[in-house]
Amino acid sequence: MNPFWNNIFRGSGYQDTLAYFLGTVPIFAKLNKRDLRFLETIVHERRYQANEIVFEEGDIGSGMYAIRSGQLRIYTKDEQGSEINQAQLEPGDFFGEVALTASRPRIASACTTEPTVLVGLFRSDMLEAVRKHPSISAKILLGLTRVISDRLHQSNLQLLDLQQQQRAKEPQQP
Amino acid sequence: MTEQSGFSRAQVVLLYLVLTAAIASGIAIFSSASTITDMLRTATDGLFLPILISLITAFLLDPLVQLFEREKINRTASIFIVYALLFLLALLLLLLIGPPNWKGMMQALKADFPRYFGRAIDYFNIQLSAVQTHLPFIKSYDLTDKLSSSAQEFFGMIIAQTPKSAMRIGSLFLLVPLFSFFFLRDSRRLMRGLISFTPNRYFEMVLDIYDHVSWQLAHFIRGRILEALIIGTVVWMGLSLTDIRYAPILGVIAGVTNLVPYIGPIVGMLPGLVIALVDLGMGGQFWWILCVYLLIAQIILDNFILIPILISRVSNLHPLLVILAIVMGGKLYGVLGMIIGVPIASILNIIIMEIRQYRKTFNPHNRIFVTRNERY
Repeated sequence: MNPFWNNIFRGSGYQDTLAYFLGTVPIFAKLNKRDLRFLETIVHERRYQANEIVFEEGDIGSGMYAIRSGQLRIYTKDEQGSEINQAQLEPGDFFGEVALTASRPRIASACTTEPTVLVGLFRSDMLEAVRKHPSISAKILLGLTRVISDRLHQSNLQLLDLQQQQRAKEPQQP
Repeated sequence: MTEQSGFSRAQVVLLYLVLTAAIASGIAIFSSASTITDMLRTATDGLFLPILISLITAFLLDPLVQLFEREKINRTASIFIVYALLFLLALLLLLLIGPPNWKGMMQALKADFPRYFGRAIDYFNIQLSAVQTHLPFIKSYDLTDKLSSSAQEFFGMIIAQTPKSAMRIGSLFLLVPLFSFFFLRDSRRLMRGLISFTPNRYFEMVLDIYDHVSWQLAHFIRGRILEALIIGTVVWMGLSLTDIRYAPILGVIAGVTNLVPYIGPIVGMLPGLVIALVDLGMGGQFWWILCVYLLIAQIILDNFILIPILISRVSNLHPLLVILAIVMGGKLYGVLGMIIGVPIASILNIIIMEIRQYRKTFNPHNRIFVTRNERY
């Protein structure tokens, strides 16, 4: 199609909005358009430069972030203080969601690798939303629970796997 | 010389010029800053009170607005509903009780005030002469004269201020609903805008602290206002049981002065006691009134019931700070400043305490992680 028709049939531009982006994040996948519009009013959009620290290991976390654009790496530090990369995150990924429900020290650090736009949802806003709009907050928290229990399930499976591997190894050792 | 100090002649001249320029620009900046603050002060002169009252109103009405908001009505509409309900309530009260005869009461009070004060001074004189027989040196201080002259001054000030304050109250009726409407509707957006200016690294901390502080503040302001209302009502009711005049006004005075801890209740008690002494004498009714003020309102209701329930311990102020706040508030805004000085000091106190609390709670974690990683 040529650009002329593209301009005419471009649609309402909903795909550029923050609400649309939030709908693509797995935690908020079950929210409808109206809920997303509400969510839009309680999140904070933050801009980071390249190589800027979002949070460090041991900081008190107060919320989760989703990557709207840019790139970010998660790393931990070992006893010698050298960094071990844990993950490389792309647009649409989210991190730090455990801190949304309780203030715990962060267990890893996050640092941008290029100019990045993050969308943060923080505990204080979430608690306010729970008080004011319980039904929408329930949906958000259910989504969060779903994601966290998925991960727990996955890590349980991995743990079982490891145990089985170890059991398989043990009889041969003595 | 120049070799000894390590400067060449040109360098000394340059240094001299730079210093002169720096001092001159410093003076220029200072003087322009002071004119700017002057301008700011004149621009915001009459706005302090309406903004303060509308902020308090907004804090008080916010729970009501949230009640409607929870029923999926949007915020602006809920604010309008709350306003309409309040208006209806006021109208209903006016219809049921009839408009209070404020003007007549003020007039009567104006006539009675010198009488009460004269009697009080007479009584004081009698007491003083009794004391003088034991401590003769008091005579040289001429206490009664000073007291009566300052009373005259105070009374004159009240008469002079009344029309002015009446106009002020009129403008308050216009400004306060307007301001508090916008505070109610937009305060969230405004604060979010302000917070978004914080640097990325401190954003989470600032957001958390803001959340704590605003919760404490709302709690504190609602608690204080509710406390003043309850104390005022109780004093009014307690006094209505006796033959004392001006029970409603005395109740209002007791409620308002109750906003100032330690000193407020005593000051709020004085007019009631003076009126009781002059009109009713040292009888059973006087003791009942004293009982209402001290035992019922202050000790039982305020200390044992209201303060533990309504006011959290965070907002406790040191007595010295209370006195300082009263003096400084009085210097800035007169009688009004004396009343609101202490709440404002408590608000600042809450902010500082919350920040300290935040850092205290969260530092141990940091230390554990820091020592483990040997970062420093």
